[in-house]
Amino acid sequence: MTITIALPSKGRMKDDASAIFERAGMRIVAVGNDRSYRGRVEGADDVEVAFLSASEISREVGSGAVDFGVTGEDLVREGIADADARVEFAARLGFGHADVVVAVPEVWYDVDTMADLGDVAADFRARHGRRLAIATKYWRLTQQFFSGSHGIQLYRIVESLGATEGAPASGSADIIVDITSTGSTLKANHLKILSDGVILRSEACLVRARKPSHEGNPAIDRIISSVRSVL
Amino acid sequence: MPLINLPAFAGELLADFERLKTLRVDTPVIQPAEPFLDMAGEDLRRRIFMTESETGESLCLRPEFTIPVCLRHIETATGTPQRYAYLGEVFRQRREGSSEFYQAGIEDLGDADTAGADARVIGDAMLVLANRLPDRRLKVTLGDQSVFEAVIAACGLPAGWQKRLIHAFGDQKLLQKLLGELADPKSPGVFGPEVERLAIMGILGDEESLVGHLAETMEATGYSTNASRSPRDIARRLKEKMELATTRLDKAALAVMREFLAFDLPLAQAPAALHAFARKSKLKIDGALSLFDARVAAVAKAGADPGLIRYRAAFGRPLDYYTGLVFEIEAEGAPAVLAGGGRFDRLLTLLGAREHIPAVGFSLWLDRIERAIAAAGGAK
Repeated sequence: MTITIALPSKGRMKDDASAIFERAGMRIVAVGNDRSYRGRVEGADDVEVAFLSASEISREVGSGAVDFGVTGEDLVREGIADADARVEFAARLGFGHADVVVAVPEVWYDVDTMADLGDVAADFRARHGRRLAIATKYWRLTQQFFSGSHGIQLYRIVESLGATEGAPASGSADIIVDITSTGSTLKANHLKILSDGVILRSEACLVRARKPSHEGNPAIDRIISSVRSVL
Repeated sequence: MPLINLPAFAGELLADFERLKTLRVDTPVIQPAEPFLDMAGEDLRRRIFMTESETGESLCLRPEFTIPVCLRHIETATGTPQRYAYLGEVFRQRREGSSEFYQAGIEDLGDADTAGADARVIGDAMLVLANRLPDRRLKVTLGDQSVFEAVIAACGLPAGWQKRLIHAFGDQKLLQKLLGELADPKSPGVFGPEVERLAIMGILGDEESLVGHLAETMEATGYSTNASRSPRDIARRLKEKMELATTRLDKAALAVMREFLAFDLPLAQAPAALHAFARKSKLKIDGALSLFDARVAAVAKAGADPGLIRYRAAFGRPLDYYTGLVFEIEAEGAPAVLAGGGRFDRLLTLLGAREHIPAVGFSLWLDRIERAIAAAGGAK
């Protein structure tokens, strides 16, 4: 059986992932030229590498089209329903740190917790004739956190695929759910993170598709333990 | 994917609806998704079947009938009062059962006689169920959002707490949790450093200077003062939040609320019990109780058997558009709710009606009724 590993196709993520695999004794080389989207692991003929975009990686691992992927936990939990049943987070790789957070305008002096936000949301339509609007690209994580963990259901999601932090000031949404690593962009846009508003502390992970063919397969276990051994 | 066929009793049910002098309406299966998401919240998105029109409008397969019937009423500018009946397929992912199933029901729009319309809706729902399940004893559970709201208000809680409790109506666990917090506040509330600064500056206690300060801050940071929450909204909620943090419900008031929420008794006994409770606890809830009394009287007059109805003070349904009566009907020995309904006086204005239209209605789960009939041995 050939094992396929999906790795980020560009940027810091690609370099950091390759470095970890190299330390783990699996040097990754591109097939053909440097910019090829296919690769292999030196000395392991039964392993293929596919270079994909980070969000594609989460989808491919979720559907089981590849055996392993390196991608952000946020993308996996956002992209796959019931993620823990379908994939295993085999190792947390220690790079690509970012938090998915609930942030509101700094000037909302009365809102510091999710409970405060729940009060504001419950009352919002009566005051403004519309629901509280949340700009985000994280539909699933937002719904799980708001209704699952905090019992808040009265809000609307406004899809935002970029420059989400600007939405509250521009008036296209009231608050945001977005990813932040240093918090500086939030600050620059006069937004604050709620004290219990961290939905997910994400980082790059080695993610395995839960497939029956992996059961008792030594090659699968070897890849996981080699990666874990160098973390 | 097997299609659900129209239940065998559909024809008889429609004949019942006609005898009840309702107007049968149909609504398109493909509906704009916005009104459903607006009324029920984002959670519904995962359970409905959504698609998009060529121009990008969000559409969905009809997940229920109340909103489409109301929208149709507004669009066709039909006068009120009007009693509509419907029977058709709805599409919704459920924990169990097929995602496409039949619902039927009645929506009674614009009848100013609140008690009478409430009683008629309960009576109609009981009648059509009894006609399908003649040998089964029905169990009706009745709650009343407005009595609950009146009790909360009469207990003298600050506005912020009233809103929290009213929002939790029908959710037992949340309600008990909130009462626990009220009795024994664990946290004084989380306030950011800005609030402390405002307190030191001495403008926290004065709404006008607080509003001024908030407006200046918003302008300086590029936030519009009217697109979202206004400076006054924030100032008022801040005051509410400080009250929320410092309010402690005394033992007596808490006991009053717990006593109220524990009411679970035959409907006929409920008016006397509620009046005795209000007198003893010195609560001024006469307005809500007189409507309650009138409804109980009207139920008896409408010919429904009040012996089958229980009033449960803590009973609510998990949709925030109900404003008064809420009820559910089961058949004895079957765990599933066969019918559910209530009063939704604000819904039509929220959906765009120009004038206030009081409304009350119920809907029937035809697949569950079918199963109950089968379980009863295929009786009619």
